[in-house]
Amino acid sequence: MSKDEELVKKLKDPTQKEKAFSELLDVYQERLYWHIRKIVTTHENADDVLQNTFVRIYKSILKFEEKSSLHTWMYRIAYNESIRFLEKNNKKSHRNIDEVPTSNLQVLFEDAYFDGDEVHKKLHKIIAGLKEKQKRIFHMKYFEDISFRQMSEILETSESTLKSTYYSVVKIIEKKIFL
Amino acid sequence: MKKETENTNQNNFLKGGFKDDISKHHKASLGITVPEGYFSKSKRSIIDKIEEEVVTEVPTEMKKPLIFWLRPQFKFMAAASLVFILTLTFWLQSANNRDVDKSTIEFLSFSDDNLINALIGNDNEFEAFADAILINEIVIKAELSEQKMDDLFFNSLFVEDSLIDNYTDDQFLETIIL
Repeated sequence: MSKDEELVKKLKDPTQKEKAFSELLDVYQERLYWHIRKIVTTHENADDVLQNTFVRIYKSILKFEEKSSLHTWMYRIAYNESIRFLEKNNKKSHRNIDEVPTSNLQVLFEDAYFDGDEVHKKLHKIIAGLKEKQKRIFHMKYFEDISFRQMSEILETSESTLKSTYYSVVKIIEKKIFL
Repeated sequence: MKKETENTNQNNFLKGGFKDDISKHHKASLGITVPEGYFSKSKRSIIDKIEEEVVTEVPTEMKKPLIFWLRPQFKFMAAASLVFILTLTFWLQSANNRDVDKSTIEFLSFSDDNLINALIGNDNEFEAFADAILINEIVIKAELSEQKMDDLFFNSLFVEDSLIDNYTDDQFLETIIL
């Protein structure tokens, strides 16, 4: 039995749930935070979504059928919560979807928790110009070190497609960053 | 990443990848940071939020009976009214059925008596009864209705004549003269 499987077992046991949830936070909180942060841009937004994600995980752990790994299941929840948050925000501000990448960059560069230089800004702009799936694959592999096997579970895409997409994105970025 | 770009070694760019500290990696590659001690504080606030939500979920369930139509007094009133309406409906229905049954039985017994009497009775009696019924009920009624028809016919003739007179007096002469 893997560590995650043991953790799930404890999480489903009411007598051990609280302790197991604390362990779960120690293992996954930081990773999920960064996954969310790259989608919702600012620290403040990421903090909100992270809380909602863990609340959802806590509430729906009994519904988790273990058809996928705990890691995959939690990443899906985090992604869905982030998208829900963005949709809600876009509705509030009546923003057009096409405007979002540019305004996201503006928001990011003005965020108190961004202290990047020109190269960082350039990299952000290149990433913002990628297709949504390319962006996700690059983020998951390069910044979160998720294996292609795990990624194929999360994104429901074959490993070979993920590998070819990732390496082509790396080439695009390398080419553009030195222009 | 800045160091890597400063080295201008294009082949090594993005080859560094993820090391041990995911937060450091994000700071170095993307220039994004988190407040100091954020993750330990965040853990506490997540646990607090969960406790808060679990506690607030119970009162929402308790609040349900406060909805007007779910209040106990209203429930009893609604139940009593329902019982009254149902009882009244059944009672009226059974009373109507009783009346129907009575008249039907009387009618059937009457017609049975007539048939039996007709079979048992004398031919003369039957003829006398038939004559009386035919003369009184059918012939007289037919004559009366014929008379009414005649009256209507005559009346219509008179009405029509008067209308013709009016027409000839008022309209016909005017049209000829003019």
